[in-house]
Amino acid sequence: MRLAKKECVAMLLAGGQGSRLGALTAKIAKPSVPFGGKYRIIDFALSNCTNSGIDTIGVLTQYQPLILNSYIGDGKSWDLDRMHGGIQILPPYQRVGDSEWYLGTANSIYQNMDFIDQYRPEYVLILSGDHIYKMDYSLMVDYHKKMDADCTISVIDVPIKEASRFGILSSDESGRITDFEEKPKRPKSTQASMGIYVFKWNKLKKYLEIDDKNPDSSNDFGKDLIPLMLRSGEKLYAYKFTGYWKDVGTIDSLWQANMDLLGENGFELSEENWIIYSRHAEKPPHYTGRDAVIKNSIVSEGAVILGTVENSVVFSGVTIGENALVKDSVVMADVVINKDCVVNYSIIDEMVTIGPGLKIGKPKGEDSEITVIPRESVINNMGGLV
Amino acid sequence: MNALGIIFSDMQDWSMTELAAHRSVAAIPFGGRYRLIDFPLSNMVNSGINKIYLITSSKYRSLMEHVGSGKDWDLSRKKGGILVIPPYSSGETHGLYQGRLDALKRVLDYITSSKEKYVILSDSDMIYNINYQDVINCHEEKESDITAVYTKTNINKSTSIHKILYEFDQEGRAVDVLVYPVTNGTYNVGLNTWVMNKDFLESLLYDAIARNYKDFSYNVLSARVNSLRIYGYEYTGFYAHIDSLQSYYETSMKLLNMDNLQSIFYSKIGPIYTKTKDSAPTKYCSGSLVKNSLIANGCIIEGTVENSILFRNVRIGKNAVVKNSIIMQHGRIGDNAKLDSIITDTYAVVNKDRVLLGYSNCPFFIKKNSVV
Repeated sequence: MRLAKKECVAMLLAGGQGSRLGALTAKIAKPSVPFGGKYRIIDFALSNCTNSGIDTIGVLTQYQPLILNSYIGDGKSWDLDRMHGGIQILPPYQRVGDSEWYLGTANSIYQNMDFIDQYRPEYVLILSGDHIYKMDYSLMVDYHKKMDADCTISVIDVPIKEASRFGILSSDESGRITDFEEKPKRPKSTQASMGIYVFKWNKLKKYLEIDDKNPDSSNDFGKDLIPLMLRSGEKLYAYKFTGYWKDVGTIDSLWQANMDLLGENGFELSEENWIIYSRHAEKPPHYTGRDAVIKNSIVSEGAVILGTVENSVVFSGVTIGENALVKDSVVMADVVINKDCVVNYSIIDEMVTIGPGLKIGKPKGEDSEITVIPRESVINNMGGLV
Repeated sequence: MNALGIIFSDMQDWSMTELAAHRSVAAIPFGGRYRLIDFPLSNMVNSGINKIYLITSSKYRSLMEHVGSGKDWDLSRKKGGILVIPPYSSGETHGLYQGRLDALKRVLDYITSSKEKYVILSDSDMIYNINYQDVINCHEEKESDITAVYTKTNINKSTSIHKILYEFDQEGRAVDVLVYPVTNGTYNVGLNTWVMNKDFLESLLYDAIARNYKDFSYNVLSARVNSLRIYGYEYTGFYAHIDSLQSYYETSMKLLNMDNLQSIFYSKIGPIYTKTKDSAPTKYCSGSLVKNSLIANGCIIEGTVENSILFRNVRIGKNAVVKNSIIMQHGRIGDNAKLDSIITDTYAVVNKDRVLLGYSNCPFFIKKNSVV
């Protein structure tokens, strides 16, 4: 059966381990790490697609895909259970001749060229599943068309101090990219690549094939493919993005991005025309007890809060017992913090049980570090932890 | 499960003048994020029923919007699923349904073409959790014609007029059925849920056509109590009948008790499903103070909330104080406003500095879309 043609197909890179997130990604891929009270990181890219009118998405998975696969399901939570297109999970697969794991970001697309070809698209949008942001991709595709670009890279201005963590590019007045360096020691500009690319599919295909034949290539978009296209004189343009955007690749940045949701001026998740969709358990509204105190926090459905919560993100189904204190922390789904516990400056992963009467984490200060309690831990005495 | 579910959305809306002014009883918002229809629907789905007819007579727009394709209850199925059946005028039959029996007569072709062995009839103004398989087992054991679910409870003259009362002999067989009586005391109060064999229901309907009967409770339960084998199935868990603004308010306030909350929403039978809305988690600002309350997602709270229920996407302004109140979805309570014992319907706006007072046995109701 010949599938319906799609103007633009999105490919979402979700196979990375996210090793800098330590215990949080021991058993799950980075895109499925919980975020913001009821979401997982991948919800942002998927919801951006839905809200931008992109309904055909391939999700490339490799590392610990179990939770990610069952989370995505048929995609109906993001309105991606479509008659034509929709969402499809693409793990590496065996074929005649050489079969390989995905060797790099570009290689994972190379291995799935047949998937993209089915839809005969004009454009391919490459996304990564580890950023927190709201972005209308359709505007970026419009820009790409207007500039008649071969590749458009979305860029954001970063502080010069942090620039060497990113792919840094320079562009001329028209926006055409003149220089691109992945994680440069001496950055020449503050325009950082957000890892979001729009390609003309025929151009991308051509360069994927060239890149694949190069034995010295690491088959990575930032390190290999983009510099190759630039050297070959193709038209690469920078698309400037100015909203909130956070790479949550480390424990600190994940904690900070959660905290960015708090307060009157926080990153807004309840914008009516840009809903962040997610898949979540059926839970009643959350209950706050007679002695509960909740300040500067967000709390999701199904939580029961009898103690005190300050400057924290509380996920659905969490129980915080009487006289317990949770401060400067991220408490993920279905965690039970029993009475009289004190939790400071911590990330508590899903389904952990703590206490009663225990202290977790050190109060947030200049030299304190974030404490991470791994998924499904049961901590009922002081032995070994904290 | 080999049963067809039939839910009536609005058999008693004459008693709910405020909340059902512009919607069927089944679509009344309840418990912070639900509508009353979610309870019978979830009970049926949790019992393994996957074919449901939802019979609705009038004011059904918000109900149809809520139910949609049924996918939030896992009822968007190739086999079975949910079918909403509003009145359908053809030939001699036209106008709204005049009672349960009249409605069933007019969907007779859908009932006869069903393959299920049993039929479960339920109204949508009851809050309780039940596994209908238990009722069917009882139905089989007693070889009943009709099995009525009931609970033993105290009623008074003001509540009894919306209830069906059963008197049973020692075997559990009904010997008398009182419909909407005026009385006080402890009674076997019907939960307006009945199980029948489908074949038996068909024969009842043919009979009703021949005699022009329209009312199930009078013409069948009460009038034929001696000739039919009507048995009771006793339900003993949490139960509430939403039949007036006052009972709506009292039942809602019962949710602020953790035991009640647990028994309704975390029962062994399964969760209560509802339409997914994708609201963000609720945001508490630095000046917020919230005690003994039930708060749905999507709210932003800057003031004080006590002994209250906030539905989705409610805003509570700075220094506002909301006590003993129910604020339905998209309610806006302005800065410094004071509310006590108030029910605001959806999209109500209370401007800043307003002071609104009801009383616990007479909550003050603010209509949908009104601006105070």
